[in-house]
Amino acid sequence: MIGIGVVSFAIAAAIAVFIPWLPPPATREAGRIVFVYWFATWISLFVFAVVTAVLVYCLLKFRVKDDDLSDGPPVHGHTMLEIVWTTIPFILVSAISFVSAIVVAQNSHAGAHPLKIKVVGQQFAWQFTYPDGKTYTSMHLPVNTHVELSLTSKDVIHSFWVPEFNQKMDAVPGMISKIVITPDRIGNYDVICTELCGLGHSLMRSQAIVMTQADYDAWYKAGAPAAPAGGDPGLAVFNANNCGACHVFKAAGAVSKVGPSLDDLQAQADRAGQPLEDFARQSIVDPNGYLEPTYQAGLMPANYGTTIPSDQIDQLVQYLVKDAG
Amino acid sequence: MTDTTHAHDTHDTHAHHAPAPPRTGIHRWTGPGWLRALWVTPLFGFACLGLVALIRSAANWHPLFASGPIVTIATVAFPIGLLIGIGAFDFWAYYVAGRPTYQDDHSGHGARRWQDYFRPNTDHKVIGMQYLATTMFFFLVGGLMALLFRAELAQPGDQYFNPQTFNVLISNHAALMIFTVVVPVFAGLGNFVIPLMIGSADMAFPRLNALSFWLLPIAGVIMVVGMVTPGGGPSAGWTCYAPLCSHQPMGQIFFNMGVQWAGASSILTALNFLVTIITMRAPGMTFWRMPLLVWANFATSSLVVLATPFIAGSQFFVLFDRVMHTNFFETVNGGYVVGYQHIFWFYSHPAVYIMLLPGFGIISEIISVMARKPIFGYRLMALSLLAILVLGFSVWAHHMFVAGMASWLRVPMMVTTLLIAVPTGIKIFSWLATLWDGKIHFNTPMLWAVGFISMFTIGGLSGIYLGSVPIDIHASDTYFIVAHIHYVLFGGSIFTVFAGIYYWYPKMTGRMYNEKLGQLHFWLTFISFNATFFPMHYIGLHGMPRRVADYTSNYADMNLFISIASFGLGISTIVFLYNMLWSWKNGPAAGANPWRAMTLEWQVSSPPPIFNFDEIPQVVGGPYEYGVPGARHAIFGAAKPEPVPTD
Repeated sequence: MIGIGVVSFAIAAAIAVFIPWLPPPATREAGRIVFVYWFATWISLFVFAVVTAVLVYCLLKFRVKDDDLSDGPPVHGHTMLEIVWTTIPFILVSAISFVSAIVVAQNSHAGAHPLKIKVVGQQFAWQFTYPDGKTYTSMHLPVNTHVELSLTSKDVIHSFWVPEFNQKMDAVPGMISKIVITPDRIGNYDVICTELCGLGHSLMRSQAIVMTQADYDAWYKAGAPAAPAGGDPGLAVFNANNCGACHVFKAAGAVSKVGPSLDDLQAQADRAGQPLEDFARQSIVDPNGYLEPTYQAGLMPANYGTTIPSDQIDQLVQYLVKDAG
Repeated sequence: MTDTTHAHDTHDTHAHHAPAPPRTGIHRWTGPGWLRALWVTPLFGFACLGLVALIRSAANWHPLFASGPIVTIATVAFPIGLLIGIGAFDFWAYYVAGRPTYQDDHSGHGARRWQDYFRPNTDHKVIGMQYLATTMFFFLVGGLMALLFRAELAQPGDQYFNPQTFNVLISNHAALMIFTVVVPVFAGLGNFVIPLMIGSADMAFPRLNALSFWLLPIAGVIMVVGMVTPGGGPSAGWTCYAPLCSHQPMGQIFFNMGVQWAGASSILTALNFLVTIITMRAPGMTFWRMPLLVWANFATSSLVVLATPFIAGSQFFVLFDRVMHTNFFETVNGGYVVGYQHIFWFYSHPAVYIMLLPGFGIISEIISVMARKPIFGYRLMALSLLAILVLGFSVWAHHMFVAGMASWLRVPMMVTTLLIAVPTGIKIFSWLATLWDGKIHFNTPMLWAVGFISMFTIGGLSGIYLGSVPIDIHASDTYFIVAHIHYVLFGGSIFTVFAGIYYWYPKMTGRMYNEKLGQLHFWLTFISFNATFFPMHYIGLHGMPRRVADYTSNYADMNLFISIASFGLGISTIVFLYNMLWSWKNGPAAGANPWRAMTLEWQVSSPPPIFNFDEIPQVVGGPYEYGVPGARHAIFGAAKPEPVPTD
């Protein structure tokens, strides 16, 4: 039986150790979480091996033929054994609780002067507002600095997650929730929405870019996100509001089919009986005013008229009309 | 009449106990049944809708037929019309109207022909079969939905379904599997077995029992119909978080109301179980002589009665926000979004134990009988059920570690969550100790029981990860959760359901299932189950969120593998169905007690007589005294059967 236990422990441990179950951590918080993960894993491997060993041994050793009508020994219990298997799991889970609680406390510690970033989720895009009041659609972070994210949402619940940071927090409308991250590895990471937030949920993504302090300072001073060199300012607005999460638009490389294709804007305007430009503008600020057949009302957020500055709406309309014309 | 004559023969000769004589002429349309339902359902339904329109026009509210109130009233009125039609309320209506009624009216009791399974029937055994057939039907529907969205997920990008349809499929897969399969399937098994196990002729409230069953198909049909309503079905996930679900198309109302019907069914059945277990045990059947399945059902029913009103409340609040313009969860008007989750999980975490404890009971029965040994540590096994029941109410917020709730709540909820591992561990270790040194018969029910122990151990251990706040912060809302819940509810609950169905199949049908097909079913399920769900741990931890119609291409290979494996699960279900149906007709006769079990349900014929016991058993010992020389659980013939009451 001990042999079976050792073998099953070895197999399970090999699966646990040799397969990279977690993405490589990129924050100090992630490092601590990975520690708890391994702490729980070794305990789980032990429990798994014990259960497997006894189970397999019993089935091999005590199995009888169908025509064996005898009964087993009438053992009703064993107080000492029962105390043992109540106490040991109690100690093990207490240990996991203890380690977890310490890590929770450490991971919510933001230090005296964290970089404070406001994160706002909306269907289906992220916005990051920095202390200087400027807002970006991807998140730039200096390495080895405490960062405190204050999350909220404009519509439904979203959840902010960067797998390599191991930290996650819901962005809830009507309230602010906070998490602390301290990036310790330079690189580009995906920001993923993990709370079902509507039809564009699976495409609600952004980037977290961890850079050296010097690079970060340079980026921070440079100010507003510049439009791609020689690019259309409308494209910047298109990308900033993640229009591509729901629409096909060849010029912007967008391929999602949640909403109607923007490549067919002219045909849609004809169906709606409106001039192209008016139609494009109305569809942004009042998306339920005209609905393409088979698309339901309320699918597209109706608040773009208030969340996108009017000059940017102009740029976006011009951009859509120019390329769709 | 001698003591050996079947008591139910006596009943049948009695006027009120005999099945009602067939109706003729107009009475076929006015008597309880499907013909009456055919006209009462639309009459009652449209009358209620007409009343709504009348009130709205009198109040000058427009449009007259707004979808919110119309769908809400329709999902209440048409089902009530149907229930009136099939006669679920007849007895009470007669009583209220002052017409003669007979407390011991057994005219709706028992199945003498197949049509008796399709009407409100007061026989707990018939109701048990009705539950099992209905839940199996929705298991197939829900499973088919899973195969459809697994086909979509086999490759990244959009292939077969747009995101709306995809979200409807995942939402209803989960909702049907939870509300119309796993929760009620145990009500079905319990209904068949519990009264027999405690030596009772039926449940305490047979007419209420008949009504509770019929609420279930209503719930399932409402949910399925909701999927195909104009504008799109409910697509906010089975958790239906506000405010996303408050602004869904009207299919969402079907979801909200379907949950109400399923919840009502569940509460009424649980009340019935509690009263039955407390008051209708045979003489000598003390609490400490009850089989562990009865204990498990007692604990489960307490959970259902205490917790289910909370999910009813959460769904009503969402509905009120939409239809009555209340502001429970509308932030612009001061609503509190996280409040929804607190109320929802106050039910939905205990619901996990509602879906597990009866399974624990089933496994205890099977392991003890098949290992030919008393259950190890019987009292601690019963007490650990109660410990889980109590602790289960103090852990709900572990679903909300990243929800933005008060952060101090996290550590206490983590501690209580992890503590549940202690009573759960006691159960696992006691089953192992029961197997130890036993005479193990490794047949199909035992195969499923052992499969359950191994799969549930994995599900329990991944539960430890999720209970720990830091790990949960990383893993929540990812495929790791999907893996965990399926190891608990499929590898856990559904495995125990299969174990139970194979174990009591000879009792229910009088015939033995095909052992080879049973084993084939197990191994197909076991292998494809693990191939489907184990890799989900990996993709989840690596960064694939749950409930996504599309994903980045680095998960493509893994998802293709999972999708192929999931079709193996579909195939294994066909083997199961074939075995069940074929053996019902062609299986060898099973006899009263093929497993040589001690509990009372095996001491009567297979299938049992209409009123269960020809003589009331006298319980004289514990239910699992295997190997104890001369031990008896119950003796028959000690007490004379009570005379049939006369009016």
